[in-house]
Amino acid sequence: MTALLTVENLSVRFPIKRGWGKTSWLYAVDDVSFEVQRGETLAIVGESGSGKTTAALGVARLVGNSGGKVDLAGEDFLALEPEALRRARAKVQVIFQDPYSSLNPRLRAEAIVREPMDSIGTLPVDQRAARVAELFEQVGLRPEQMKLFPHQFSGGQRQRIGIARALATNPELIICDEAVSALDVAVQAQILNLLRRLQRDLGLTYLFISHDLGVVQHMSDHIAVMYMGKIVEYADRLSLFNSPRHPYTKALLSAVPSVDQKRKVERLLIPGDPPDPLNPPRGCRFASRCHFVEDACRSEQPPLTEVAAHHKVACIKA
Amino acid sequence: MTEPLLKIENLRIELALRSGQAPVIDDLSLELRPGETLSFVGESGCGKSMTALAIMGLLPEKVGSIAGGRILFDGRDMAQMNDAQLRSIRGNEISMIFQEPMTSLNPVYTVGEQIAEVLRRHKGMSKQAAWARAIELLDAVRIPNAKSRVSDYPHQMSGGQRQRVMIAIALACAPKILIADEPTTALDVTVQAQIFDLLRDLGRETGTAIILITHDMGAVSEMADRMVVMYAGRKAEDGPVAPVISHPRHPYTKGLISCVPHLLAKLTEQRPDLTEVPGIVPALASFGADACLFASRCDMADDKCRSSRPPEVAFGEQHSACWKADQL
Repeated sequence: MTALLTVENLSVRFPIKRGWGKTSWLYAVDDVSFEVQRGETLAIVGESGSGKTTAALGVARLVGNSGGKVDLAGEDFLALEPEALRRARAKVQVIFQDPYSSLNPRLRAEAIVREPMDSIGTLPVDQRAARVAELFEQVGLRPEQMKLFPHQFSGGQRQRIGIARALATNPELIICDEAVSALDVAVQAQILNLLRRLQRDLGLTYLFISHDLGVVQHMSDHIAVMYMGKIVEYADRLSLFNSPRHPYTKALLSAVPSVDQKRKVERLLIPGDPPDPLNPPRGCRFASRCHFVEDACRSEQPPLTEVAAHHKVACIKA
Repeated sequence: MTEPLLKIENLRIELALRSGQAPVIDDLSLELRPGETLSFVGESGCGKSMTALAIMGLLPEKVGSIAGGRILFDGRDMAQMNDAQLRSIRGNEISMIFQEPMTSLNPVYTVGEQIAEVLRRHKGMSKQAAWARAIELLDAVRIPNAKSRVSDYPHQMSGGQRQRVMIAIALACAPKILIADEPTTALDVTVQAQIFDLLRDLGRETGTAIILITHDMGAVSEMADRMVVMYAGRKAEDGPVAPVISHPRHPYTKGLISCVPHLLAKLTEQRPDLTEVPGIVPALASFGADACLFASRCDMADDKCRSSRPPEVAFGEQHSACWKADQL
């Protein structure tokens, strides 16, 4: 297997203005490294504010101020000049969370799907209409729906338009940013099945951002768990869900209610709220809420260390 | 069997549309017993929140109205009450918390003032007594350092803390019924676990009956005693949670359970596609039809399903409105 995406020491920071001339930096993603293999799905999970979306969008340089190294299919993304970056973005496309606000209400569905090809110029002009028709069929929309406006579609259909648009430039990597979180459960199942079918048929690679561990369990091959801008655990699907090692991952999994009566895990409640991200603790960032904390945790940041094959944990007690 | 606390009989709520009246709630009957947790489940637009609003007497004026049936609370019919009578019950004997803890609190008053307001209005407490009780309530909903946090404004609190404040307000008058409308949908899963634990403990301590509105079957199975599955304004199925989830007698219930990827006790390599419930909830205009409204999305449907509304069939304590319930 070859890595399609290699991210080394990625940091994404945002300036926070504090009075005259004073700026402090908020590190939404702090020194994060990971790889995504071609044809697989890496899920990044975490709670709001953990930096999961920023990490993924930071890879495509869509947010903030990124530092580190991002290699996507041989292209050094963080070093690209604006014009080269624009063209390189054909290789990475995003499916957004909100199917209502992520489509231009004044464009017809066909124009929305065509737009990335027009702006990046990936196909000769005379072939684009045929490509749009092909994309409509791939995502399960009918040809006569090409002429409709976004408000004439249901939420699930709109998300299909968003998926068709993301596929338009034949991207190497698709970032699914909470792609099914806004949908009703029955529609969510339709979209998840579509995403998996497209992955099988077209050999797509997904960077799948979600807070829903049930969905992640179903979609991913590998999972990175983030807490306050750091990856605290990285593992393949079976290891992460069957034998989580980091106290935060354990707590997160135990918090999910399930219909499986056999899955009666003892709930590990995490007390309190996360610390102030502008002023993160010096040691392990989870230390203030961890049941297993000891002095050493508070003084030094634990590195992400391999504890088994394909399983890394950032905890000195793992 | 104990006398039900709340009894809804043949409730019909009509909504004014441009094309006429549509029944958003159509012939709904259910019971809530003292101290139990009852869950309303279904997709958006199935009438879960509408039922809750009707119980609270909060249907949108001039748009929604009760067209038939009774809502009996303590033997009195709430559907016939005037505003003043409803006001004395709302927030006092029946209270409600909402999905959005960000927008349900008033941003220009401290949380203490907002809790005290309820106590002064319904219990006639003095300013000092209400304030002192507000601190006790914040403490009861496990907000650390309640004495100083009571003077905080909502924006100074996290989402989970705001929802705790909402719960404190709702429980201030020790209501007999607490309606929780998707109380954790806007919150992180670890915060959701904290809120569920809190609701469960408070329910046990105070004997408050809870109506939990949710679309999450996992939450239902952990929180509720009984459940009502709603589809297109009608009751599809109801019964005790364990048998309904292990053996649903309505294809819609079955679909709702199997279309969601649940966390399992032991994960394996197998990953079959999710069961799809094709299509979406029908448009309001078709809600009154004499047919099974789920028929268009059901793979078992036949002509009978499309031409007459199925009656409720009982399987012990479980009831299903499906012509083919006995085949499931």
